[in-house]
Amino acid sequence: MIHAGNVNAADDELAMHYAREFYGRRGESHRLWIVAREAITELDDPDLLKPPFDRSHKKPGGYIIKHKLEAAKQRAATEADES
Amino acid sequence: MTASPGVAPLEPAARDALAELLLSVADDEFVIGFWDSEWTGIAPMLEEDVATSSIAQDEIGHAKALYELLAELTDDDPDRIAFGRELADYRHAALLNHARGDWAFSVARRYLYETADAVRLTALASSAHDGLAALAGKMRREETYHMLHADAWIRRLADGEGRDRLVTALFALWADAQEVFAPLEAGDRLVRDGWLPQPMSDLHAAWVARVRPILEPIVGDLPSLDSTPDGRRRRTDDFAWLHGEFTRVSGSEEGALW
Repeated sequence: MIHAGNVNAADDELAMHYAREFYGRRGESHRLWIVAREAITELDDPDLLKPPFDRSHKKPGGYIIKHKLEAAKQRAATEADES
Repeated sequence: MTASPGVAPLEPAARDALAELLLSVADDEFVIGFWDSEWTGIAPMLEEDVATSSIAQDEIGHAKALYELLAELTDDDPDRIAFGRELADYRHAALLNHARGDWAFSVARRYLYETADAVRLTALASSAHDGLAALAGKMRREETYHMLHADAWIRRLADGEGRDRLVTALFALWADAQEVFAPLEAGDRLVRDGWLPQPMSDLHAAWVARVRPILEPIVGDLPSLDSTPDGRRRRTDDFAWLHGEFTRVSGSEEGALW
């Protein structure tokens, strides 16, 4: 789900039509969720979203699994041949 | 013309009948598409500008598909049919003879047309002609939204300061709106062959029954009117102007490809 954008409309019904034409008229959308501005709860505190500490230990980098993966694939292929 | 495998070519009278039907629907969609595109850039607000323009493009898209079906039937070129005819050879209903007018006028016309088109498409979706039935079914899926959009605007204008303009427009257009169901020359044959599953007169009655309860609370009593034999042949200065507009580019370089 991505934020497509915003529309100005007199009410929910027209907002639906305008959203359809702005963000769906070229077949680029599968679904549209249309929400009034005042119904949105916003979280924009940088301390929550971009905390000051190093976060590299929360990222999946640093593990080299390429060789392990290839070995596993080969093993699976061999086992399949044997059975 | 090369017939599709397994489909016998139609005899001339049957082909002409089907061609008349296809042309009437195609020209309706084509002409309302061009009129409503006249709002591009000047609709009441930006969002409505995009919506109206997009709906107008949808109608042109429907016209394109119908002209292609017709061109296949008559061994013609869809662009020639769309842009290469004299004024008198267009067959849209008199409802579409009028310039766009003010916003209420365009909304009133779109509402009258969309409701009539919905009745017609529902019938055509069960046409015995498979190609037309499939196309009508596809058009209906898009027209549902056009209908909702027009309906949303009718209710808003009826309820606000636009009411007087809306009432004036609906009265001005009411007689010509009946002409969406004007009899076709080959009407009897089209019904007999199942290509048009119900006579235009039945579709007309169904449409009137549908819109009367919606419109009369807004405008008061609407007269009971019939459609007329020349309902798809009358042309106006407004349409002559539009015809000049939409043929200007194609007419500037005859036979050019784009």
